[in-house]
Amino acid sequence: MAVFTGVAWGQWVSSIFLMVLGLVLGSLAARSVTRFMAQRSTRHHTVMLRRFVFYLIVVLFAIAALREAGFSLDIVLGAAGILTVAIGFASQTSASNMISGLFLLVEKPFEIGDFIEVDATIGEVIGIDMLSVKLRTPDNLYVRIPNETLIKTRVVNRSRFPIRRLDLTVGIAYAEDVERVEALLLGLAEKNPVCLEEPKPFVLVTAFGPSSVDLQFSFWVPKDKVLDGRSSIMVAIKKALDREGVEIPFPHTSIYAGSHSEPFRVQLLGPETITEKEIPDVDKDR
Amino acid sequence: MGPETEGRRDGVWAKPYSLASGQTQSHQLGHVNLWVTLLDREWQIRSETLEVETDPVSWSETIGHTLPSKDVSLQRFIRSEGSDTVTFIPAVASLPTVIRPYQPLTIPAGEQCVIYVGTLVWMQVCVGDGRTVLTEVPLAVPSLTWVGRNTMEGELCYSSASVARLVLEAVPKRPWRAVTPVTIINRREEPLLLERFSLPTPMLSLYLNERGQLWTPGVTVECETDMNSASLHVDQTVFAAAGKCQQVGLAREKVSRGRFVRAFDRMFG
Repeated sequence: MAVFTGVAWGQWVSSIFLMVLGLVLGSLAARSVTRFMAQRSTRHHTVMLRRFVFYLIVVLFAIAALREAGFSLDIVLGAAGILTVAIGFASQTSASNMISGLFLLVEKPFEIGDFIEVDATIGEVIGIDMLSVKLRTPDNLYVRIPNETLIKTRVVNRSRFPIRRLDLTVGIAYAEDVERVEALLLGLAEKNPVCLEEPKPFVLVTAFGPSSVDLQFSFWVPKDKVLDGRSSIMVAIKKALDREGVEIPFPHTSIYAGSHSEPFRVQLLGPETITEKEIPDVDKDR
Repeated sequence: MGPETEGRRDGVWAKPYSLASGQTQSHQLGHVNLWVTLLDREWQIRSETLEVETDPVSWSETIGHTLPSKDVSLQRFIRSEGSDTVTFIPAVASLPTVIRPYQPLTIPAGEQCVIYVGTLVWMQVCVGDGRTVLTEVPLAVPSLTWVGRNTMEGELCYSSASVARLVLEAVPKRPWRAVTPVTIINRREEPLLLERFSLPTPMLSLYLNERGQLWTPGVTVECETDMNSASLHVDQTVFAAAGKCQQVGLAREKVSRGRFVRAFDRMFG
């Protein structure tokens, strides 16, 4: 009983009260910041400021709570320093991720809401946290990527700039008039409301392929209409080329057995000969 | 002449039309066909965009009980008790509009001119006495373009090819386009080649004159030493030649200083 009576319960209750008050006030302040910033700033800045305000208030109240409990701040900071070094050695990966996270915040290669590509993963950034960045992929998967990976690897931000260029490869038969097809494609870009008038769309001949002349059809679209733009213009290309009688070839394979060999004999079987189809090859010579 | 044709009238902006339950009001305006149907508990709005060779100059309106085919896209809205009126309010484009004269125009040093440009308007379908906006429809398919120093810095804009007429009488009066008189003053010592310019349409309000034509206040652009020092000014009142006007649509954006700088900074591409 002497152990319990020796404890200064009043101080501990005050400390706990201060900690709880800090958490409550921090949450309330963070919510107010979110409400205030939501209409005035980007999602990224709102989240960053909300976290900053929350942690600032919680840390201030935590310091006050420690003082109230009778801890000297110098000793606490010293202990924290030693603990940090010890933890740092024990968990280098986490420390590396935390520092990488700071670099990501300073360098700002992407923001919350951006569409990024990391290695083979494409997704919308839904969170930039202490250890990792969270993505939501177009097929609605949740992907967590450590901050260290993002610092080391190539990151493509697909929505940094307001407009994007789409490059489509269109193959046409060798017999077709390239200039006519070029005019046709440019006409489609002009009619499609998703394609921007400026920068101007253009067509390049990129290769004489195995079975087609390959054209690159490039046009610009707003960043939020990439899928719509690509799909609608591809449908329009197919319809227009079909309407104009322009052939889109598929790979053809010819078998050539040498100049002295006889050509292969190809015979079209009529309905009357179909019955023979059922006879196995081994039985034919009998 | 059938009953449909007999009831055909000219459509009017900002005039409340009363409908009875089950009635459909159809409009043919610009490149759009629009049907507004009043039912006991809901409003139905159907619209389709037409591919027309020449720009229509009239707006016809009919009230009947005929609905279009099911292929036409339908929007449904809840209707509160007693609201049986529908009003059509014009609205300016939500993005700046780039005006590109078919033939570039040169303004010699020290000269000034007034160009009349027509810009596309959106039709807001408003219901009830409070004019609650249900939806808005562009009266032709707007095309997009980019104005800026490069593909990184700049602004998305709507595009409008224009004859850039210098004589008011030659300007076609279409109820689905608003006329803006743009005064360009060249104070430089060199000629100014006007290939295209960005009109800050979201900052313009809309006025309707007695002949049913839409006008916006005039815009004055003054070029001093170089393009970047050009100043842009939106008039407070409508051009006198528009005649007696009443305001029918508000500007989408207030004229802010920052926006203003950007607008004239990119005025000439």
